[in-house]
Amino acid sequence: MTLTRRAALALPLLAAAPAALAASGPGPAPAFTAKDADGRTRSLAEFKGKVVVLEWVNEGCPYVKKHYRGNMQATQKAALAQGAVWLSVCSSAPGQQGAVNGAQAKAWIKAHNAAPTAFLLDPSGTVGRAYNAKTTPHMYVIDKTGRLVYQGGIDDKPTSKVEDIAGAKNYVLAALADLKAGRPVQTAFSKPYGCSVKYA
Amino acid sequence: MRRLLAALMGVFSLASALPAAAAPVDTGHLEAELVPQQSAVPGGTIYVALRQKIDKGWHTYWRNPGDSGEATKIQWTLPPGWTAGDFVWPLPHRQPIGPLMNYGYSNEVLLPTPIHVPATAKVGETATLKADVVFLVCADICVPEEATLTLALPVAEQPTPDPKWGDRIASVLADAPKPAGLAATFAASGEAVKLAVTGDPLKGADVGDAYFFPFDGTVIDHAKAQPIERGPDGLTLTLPAGFAFTQGPAPTELAGVLSLGDRAWEISAKAGPPAAGASGLGAPPKTVSAAGEKGGLGLPFALLFAFLGGLILNLMPCVFPVLSMKAAALAGHAHDARNARAQGLAYLVGVLATFLALAGLLIALKAGGAAVGWGFQLQSPIAVAALALVMLLVALNLSGVFEVGTSIQGAGGGLASQRGLAGSFLTGVLAVVVAAPCTAPFMASAMGYALTQNAAVSLLIFGALGLGLAAPFVALSFAPGLLRLMPRPGPWMDTLRHVLAFPMYGAVAWLVWVLSQQTGPVGMAYALAAGVLAAFAVWLWGHAQRRPPAPITRGLAAAVFVGAIVLVGLLAAEKPATAASAGGKAGETAEVPYEPWSPERVAALRAEGRPVFVNFTAAWCVTCQVNERTSLGRKIIADALKRNNAVYLKADWTNRDPAIAAALAEHGRAGVPLYLVYGADGSDPVILPQLLTDGMVAEALDRAAARKPGA
Repeated sequence: MTLTRRAALALPLLAAAPAALAASGPGPAPAFTAKDADGRTRSLAEFKGKVVVLEWVNEGCPYVKKHYRGNMQATQKAALAQGAVWLSVCSSAPGQQGAVNGAQAKAWIKAHNAAPTAFLLDPSGTVGRAYNAKTTPHMYVIDKTGRLVYQGGIDDKPTSKVEDIAGAKNYVLAALADLKAGRPVQTAFSKPYGCSVKYA
Repeated sequence: MRRLLAALMGVFSLASALPAAAAPVDTGHLEAELVPQQSAVPGGTIYVALRQKIDKGWHTYWRNPGDSGEATKIQWTLPPGWTAGDFVWPLPHRQPIGPLMNYGYSNEVLLPTPIHVPATAKVGETATLKADVVFLVCADICVPEEATLTLALPVAEQPTPDPKWGDRIASVLADAPKPAGLAATFAASGEAVKLAVTGDPLKGADVGDAYFFPFDGTVIDHAKAQPIERGPDGLTLTLPAGFAFTQGPAPTELAGVLSLGDRAWEISAKAGPPAAGASGLGAPPKTVSAAGEKGGLGLPFALLFAFLGGLILNLMPCVFPVLSMKAAALAGHAHDARNARAQGLAYLVGVLATFLALAGLLIALKAGGAAVGWGFQLQSPIAVAALALVMLLVALNLSGVFEVGTSIQGAGGGLASQRGLAGSFLTGVLAVVVAAPCTAPFMASAMGYALTQNAAVSLLIFGALGLGLAAPFVALSFAPGLLRLMPRPGPWMDTLRHVLAFPMYGAVAWLVWVLSQQTGPVGMAYALAAGVLAAFAVWLWGHAQRRPPAPITRGLAAAVFVGAIVLVGLLAAEKPATAASAGGKAGETAEVPYEPWSPERVAALRAEGRPVFVNFTAAWCVTCQVNERTSLGRKIIADALKRNNAVYLKADWTNRDPAIAAALAEHGRAGVPLYLVYGADGSDPVILPQLLTDGMVAEALDRAAARKPGA
């Protein structure tokens, strides 16, 4: 009931989005369109044939800050080096923590030496809800055929301490490595951790 | 001298308690400290709690924080030989955040940890316990905070409770969820995991607030509802499956805390078939919190509404005949202020006692799992027939066919006024029994609220209803000025009595009609025959009262009356009329076509996107009948239905029907009438007032049709 209702709500908003929700398993990744930090309209469809990493972000969240001390940037660079697309998505509602406009997003990217393919602004939370994004960070990996092959935390140490990054298993890198080697993604799910996404 | 000694001893005992010393640390958004339950004892286990006094609006997290957040962590540094266990987690609160759900604590929380003290610890020494704590504290935003806390703990021979924290920690430990031998199994299918739990603590418990907090954060979707089904021995929760179930090998165990609101137990469910007693009784009635979201009542408003509802009940047609009895009685006592007051109070007691007794019975039946609601006593044909007989006897008495006790002329003596009190009490009883079919405005939501509360609150609300019902007459009997306006007693009283008999005859006619709906023509024949016999019996009795005593006449009267009662008893063998036949009959007379209600039919029509009007009614519900005659039968409704492609469904509750009782409970109601209008868009139904106008229904239908999907 709830599921169908949510799907019904999402359908008119997301042009041609498959009704499948992220939580229901590796299936087609929900399609979306959103404005990026430069004001251009981007869609998942334009990256067809490429591996896509989605990262939910909120610059004020301590867990995001923990990983932007180098770990997230390193993961980004590794992904881009493999030919993957990296989309950072901000679903913070206006006035909530992490809500940024295009200029602020670009300034933040520059200040942190981050390198996403695009920074998507999702103030209505439409993209976030389609993916059932719960936390910042919350990571998703979509393979070249458009299937969602990983969703969850960035690693297996759900803490806010930078020290815990050393020795943690980076699930995104692991999924990318599995994709590159042509084998099924070993860990397809993990519990995401971090701050709640500041939805409207 | 003695006082001084006592004071000195007091000081001494305080000193000997050697309170442990710790300093609270303000970490930014909360204040943290270590607090002990008692002094340490060599070789013993004590509890030391991490106390978080959390800023207003902020919270920390349970062991499974839910969709986001992070559980509080502690790392102990203890003297050699000392060891610490894990936190004992108190029951968390649910914290919904937008589309997400977290589990945690606000205000203040004590997280006790068992600390094992080595046998080598020396009595008299003070041990220093140190702990590094890390916690995430969140409001809209989250801040990770940390602190190093220390506690200087005395080692004593006896475990002396800490004067400040001993009791608090003891009660946290006592209230913390623990295993209670509940049997639990789960079965996953698709998007749902059915968790079935049975055991003694759940039998007959109010499970309306039941919720499962899993220890593992991956087994359920925390933000989604957990629909509840009751069973005689427990309950079944339908948990929305988390990705641990939807992906890969499903877990073999499901461990967590089952909470019933204020009580909670640890359970560990294994995969397997559910116990037989874990389901079968449907969803529990809506809880306060659920009702609260829908603009339901709090206790003060429920009490006020109940009182108002009781007051308004005096204006409803069901109570008229009884009020006529009361008026007849009052006419006789009007010029004896003391007696009038006593009569008023006796009536009040009768009303209250009956309301409470009926409510008590209703609560007991519900606790036993029966799907009943207000007016349940009129769902039994025998009760209706018996009530018709009682009303007939009262009417014949008012007509002067027979007298109760001595003749009315002899009234005024001590004994007679005693009898008068009993009469007033019985009038009160009768008033409540016949009032049930008239749910007055205000009453319905108050009663719906009452039946979802614990027994004490329920009885309180029914008491307020009784107060409201009795209030006008009690007030009148305490107003000598008004009473003095009444004419002096005289022959006019007899005439009044005779006139007032006719509302009672009317009530009899109505009850027999209700019976005909419940049992069909044969049952009605029994009741009418019983009525004739009863009338004959009391005429014989009255005959004996007016003539010199003739024992044979009285014996005959008694025998005839027994015959009447036997006839009523025979009704038990009569099968209730089927809903279809009753509905079919009513359908012929009504202008507006309708279909019988069923939840499946509602679901099917809603799936088609058609507006639906549901009329929850019963033959014995006078308000319902009035509405059906005055508004629901009108052409304007038929037109509105046609215009909006809407469907009229009728749920007839004249006889007992658990499905209808469940549907009423779902909307916070304990009885009929209830009018629902479902929109075309699948949204929640609109509830119409209990007193309808045809325009109101037509307008609601137009609005329902306008709520299109996607609009």
